[in-house]
Amino acid sequence: MVHALHEGQRVLQPDGILFDLRPAPVHRRVGILSDAGYQEIGVMREDLTDDYFANRAVKQVMREGLFKSEKYIEFDCNRVMDTLNDFHTWLLDFVDRGNPSQDSLLQRVEHAHPTLRGRKKIIVSAPLMLRRLRNLGQE
Amino acid sequence: MTLRIDPERNEVHALKGMADWRGKRVLEIGCGDGRLTRRIANLGAQVDAMDPDRKLITTARKELPARYSERVRFKAGSAQELKFPKETFDIVVFAWSL
Repeated sequence: MVHALHEGQRVLQPDGILFDLRPAPVHRRVGILSDAGYQEIGVMREDLTDDYFANRAVKQVMREGLFKSEKYIEFDCNRVMDTLNDFHTWLLDFVDRGNPSQDSLLQRVEHAHPTLRGRKKIIVSAPLMLRRLRNLGQE
Repeated sequence: MTLRIDPERNEVHALKGMADWRGKRVLEIGCGDGRLTRRIANLGAQVDAMDPDRKLITTARKELPARYSERVRFKAGSAQELKFPKETFDIVVFAWSL
């Protein structure tokens, strides 16, 4: 991660901007939006180690004097799925990428989904973080 | 599968609020299928977008609207070794890739 940031700095103009955009190290929330409103079903279990390593890498390049942090914000980012099947497919892919099993959460969503009326959407939401780093132009 | 990521476009609104993108030369690292690339191009930037996954790059090229074809280039590659000369870009975006 630190090497990638060094590469990013190398190709940047001396006063250029580097944006670090990624999910904040917070567990995602899963809920269902229906005619009755939004109902939160549960929280996903995730290994957040990589996020902490990424934070550490950013701190390191700032300590090295390559960048200064100018602004940091967090905001919500939703993934919206129309059917249980869509959610199931997405969850399988998520687990295939090395994340812990989400069986218990899937069962709760499968249990709640048929009980809700009207058009339903499954929403996975998590804050994203965006940090603006200014290139200080040192090598 | 129907999956919509960030239908509210919060991501691009946040990026727009943090820089002037018009006419800027931008490198997006981790572009995936080009979802965010198209939105950055729409802000008026000239975008080089890369991802290590060649299949996603192929998808990104297919899904790029013709109106952005002069301003966006997709390339398979790793952030560990950027094949660009020194001081090429005004803005570098690590998009879910750090």
